Amino acid sequence: MKPRLITLFLVVAALGAVAMWLRQDYWVDHMSRMSGQKDLSHVTCFNCHMVSTAKLRWAQPRPHHDAPAGLAVSPDGKIIYIALDDRDQIAAADAVSQKVLRRVKVAGRPFGLALDAAGQKLFVTCRDADRLAILDTQTLKETASIGVGMAPVAVAYCRTSAGERLIVANSMADNISVLSVSPLREIGRPSAGREPFDVTVNPDGTRAFVVNRMAWLASVKTVPAAEVTEIDPVTARTIGRDPLASAHLSESIGIVPSRSWVLNPLVKVRNLVPITQVANGWVMSSGFAVTDTRTCKVIQLPLDEANNYYADPSGMAVAPDGKRAFIASGGSDVVSVVDLDKVSAWLAAASVSTKEEAINDMSLSPEYVIARIPTQRNPRQLLISPDGGTLYVAERLQDSILLVDTKTLTTKGRIMLGDGGLNDPIRRGERVFTTAAYTFQHQFSCRSCHPDGHVDGLSYDFDTSGIGDNLLDNRSLLGVAGTEPFKWNGKNPSLEVQCGPRFAKVLMRTDPIPPKELRDLTTFIKSQPPQRVARRHDGKLTPAQERGKAIFFATKTSAGVEIPHGKRCSSCHRPPLYTVRLSFDVGTGGPFDTPHLLGVANTAPYLHDGRALSLEEIWTLYSTNDTHGVTSYMNKEQLNDLVEFLKTL
Amino acid sequence: MKTIYKLTATLVAMGEILCFCGAVPIGAAQSSTNNLPFPLIERFENFGAKDGLPTHKVHCVLRASDGKLWVGTYGGALFRDNGKFHLISTNDGLSHRMVMCMVEDKRTGDMWLGTMRGLNRYSAGRITTYTQTDSGLPNNVVYGLDIMDDTLWVATAAGLGALNLKTGSWSIYDQNNTVMHEPWVYSVTGAKDRVFVGVWGGGILEYEPASGIFKEHRDPDRDFHFDLAPDDGPVSDITSWVAWEDGVLWQATYFGMSRYDGSRWRTWQETKSPLPSNFVNFIWPHGRVAWVGTDCGLSTTDGNIWVNYRTDEHGDGIMEIARPGQPMETRKMTTALPNNFVLGIWVDDREAWLATSDGLAHAFLSPTQSATKVAVDQ
Repeated sequence: MKPRLITLFLVVAALGAVAMWLRQDYWVDHMSRMSGQKDLSHVTCFNCHMVSTAKLRWAQPRPHHDAPAGLAVSPDGKIIYIALDDRDQIAAADAVSQKVLRRVKVAGRPFGLALDAAGQKLFVTCRDADRLAILDTQTLKETASIGVGMAPVAVAYCRTSAGERLIVANSMADNISVLSVSPLREIGRPSAGREPFDVTVNPDGTRAFVVNRMAWLASVKTVPAAEVTEIDPVTARTIGRDPLASAHLSESIGIVPSRSWVLNPLVKVRNLVPITQVANGWVMSSGFAVTDTRTCKVIQLPLDEANNYYADPSGMAVAPDGKRAFIASGGSDVVSVVDLDKVSAWLAAASVSTKEEAINDMSLSPEYVIARIPTQRNPRQLLISPDGGTLYVAERLQDSILLVDTKTLTTKGRIMLGDGGLNDPIRRGERVFTTAAYTFQHQFSCRSCHPDGHVDGLSYDFDTSGIGDNLLDNRSLLGVAGTEPFKWNGKNPSLEVQCGPRFAKVLMRTDPIPPKELRDLTTFIKSQPPQRVARRHDGKLTPAQERGKAIFFATKTSAGVEIPHGKRCSSCHRPPLYTVRLSFDVGTGGPFDTPHLLGVANTAPYLHDGRALSLEEIWTLYSTNDTHGVTSYMNKEQLNDLVEFLKTL
Repeated sequence: MKTIYKLTATLVAMGEILCFCGAVPIGAAQSSTNNLPFPLIERFENFGAKDGLPTHKVHCVLRASDGKLWVGTYGGALFRDNGKFHLISTNDGLSHRMVMCMVEDKRTGDMWLGTMRGLNRYSAGRITTYTQTDSGLPNNVVYGLDIMDDTLWVATAAGLGALNLKTGSWSIYDQNNTVMHEPWVYSVTGAKDRVFVGVWGGGILEYEPASGIFKEHRDPDRDFHFDLAPDDGPVSDITSWVAWEDGVLWQATYFGMSRYDGSRWRTWQETKSPLPSNFVNFIWPHGRVAWVGTDCGLSTTDGNIWVNYRTDEHGDGIMEIARPGQPMETRKMTTALPNNFVLGIWVDDREAWLATSDGLAHAFLSPTQSATKVAVDQ
């Protein structure tokens, strides 16, 4: 026998002997004491021990795909630039031959694209590197780079009276970088709404419009609202904030200069209505907002039809002549064509109250939606050629770009970037995750509440009776692998149960997702790593974070008083997942499942019903008197340090 | 004496009438012969409840870089646009009605408002609140604010807070981690590469963010009431306000005021100088001239010459000019401060705005000399 095996045998034998010597009473006492549970039927050694993230699906290597993200087209319309964020590449394709000409490496997950007026500089936001890169379009070599806010996802270029400007949406920093091009520097970083996601600028460069994907943080019982942020590109000052009432998940924005309109697709969300009302179409619908830039008045119009929804409206493009707008519905594999003359005529004829209620009128969209163009899987970003003749549709989960003739609204061809990745169960699972095919009337997909697998920042009413009786905070799916059981009550043992029969019964109101697709779906979810967190570039903790870490793992208060095991942060939020996967009462009406803390900084609101709008509020307002760990000994600085550490997880 | 005042007032009124007729105004003639190193206030225009102010008590005032006037009152914040005041109250999301301090982030146009219960950011119509329970704000009572680069400095009743405007992270500086003896921070002002912190009972702290070093400036004689050895350091440790401009730090206390140019201190108390009262609420430096708000009116001084403005018991405006070695010159004004308790000041070359306990005053300055020009000349 090899020495290692002998050692292992001896260790096991010794442990067994010790275990027998200690007897059952010891183990019951140990498990009860360490887990804090009276009922040990759900407790095993593996709640605390032998937990490793290294073996989790999200920590394993995975295939990468040619999924198109941002698009840009040269001024002459001949070259299409495509960001392939999953490959860390930028591709240049010939618009006529529909072939990819070149690919170049751009580090940091290139996502958003824009060109300068002459088409000589390609501006690339690198989502995972928090930077903007400039590529020479002749050589496709990177010529410059500048740091911006966290997770930049979109960039717009404009000429202003003060020179060339770039407006960058920093999605995880909730702010906007305004850059001058020559010299390349940041002029200012005004605050956005929550998760700014796309940018457009009016033709004279006097106003930039930034659409935000998530609603503002607010009390769980208030109607959520996202916003369109208006920025002065010259000064980088904020000049307006237009609320989108009861709407969120806007991922693109377009300007109609001829009408002084700004358009953005949106999800009309009614999260305070009981989720049982999905069957009535009352919970979620798709539409778009028309903002009059002169009056800042916003009218929301539906995109859906009474019995057929067009879920997850994502990309938007407006024809150069301002006659038509195109909206991609990523969950329904459709591009809707909106006749803006008809929208204008309807708006002119409608009364104020009719316009206010328009978004709820499921019979309205035929008034202005003149066509639905089918696409392949998951159309996201849209782009129109400078002459307005061709619409480019990024079919993200098909690895292709669809070309549509904007006059005939027929397909002109496709730029193939990859094979669609159907051999990869993760990619297949993402297709399931993003499709609305399995929900009643195709109202929504998994992504409708979990954009990019994360959260939409809302609480939903999961009760069957009264309105607002059982609000439950939406939880991120990022890094969720290995943290079962699921649901806030900890009753669902696996993702397969959570996403299968339970999802069908409570949410989809249709048949469950078929077994094979369900397997792929759960594979995809398990492969999603935790949300990226802001850390210093050298990876070290700041002094405040180090102090917070010491508090998190403290076994004694500042005064040296022993903190009972079950009242320590790290007892229930035990590394490496920062959960022991058991339920506890933290003074909020529990017991509730212990959420993992990986990426917790970006998952507000907090607690089971989302009542805490910030991490601080957990301890200052809701779990006071040491009901959520012993925390009352902490002064304000210590609480701040603890929060700073939590932001690093 | 009353007769003299009335005669003066009549002459001033006649001068103003002549001004409209194209003749040389008396006020201008006086200003041109003042030979003062800073402009005089020619007249006041007062605003109160009739003009839309929600309460009589005004705590702070400033004109933002877009030209809008912002006013902090006991009943909320206001901005003045096209001659009309617009109220921002708790109904609009303000965390508390009592607005005690304001600062503008000139890069973004955002206005930060400090209240008795929390900090607020007003950005293009949207208010975001920060309290001690939902954020890293050290304490809800926010006395003073300043912005330096990407840091918002917040003076609170339980220490100094620093909000990184890019990352959203908070730092707290108080008696636990600095040389600060008391946690009551009344004021903070940025000074290029450092920050001066006015601590109630603790003098002034000088902080260099780059090195992390705190330096304490305390009253050497440690006597609250009396400046036993003038010009040896801060006049008192009871700091009510600090302000810095053009290399000079000004300290307001309830026992006099001080100036520090980086190497030398100078102190003033009412018994030994023309300072009208030891009870100094606020100082607004403009160039090298300090505009001083006290409980007995407003003063302007370059440290040598003083001009004091107050409202007498009859409600008349009084201007007193004190030149070194000369008797005090007293003039009666055609208009008066709404109240002698001056809590906040904002000044530029053309005008001054004054927050008082009984309304807001707009002070029109004599056009003959700008404060900036004086500072440059000197």
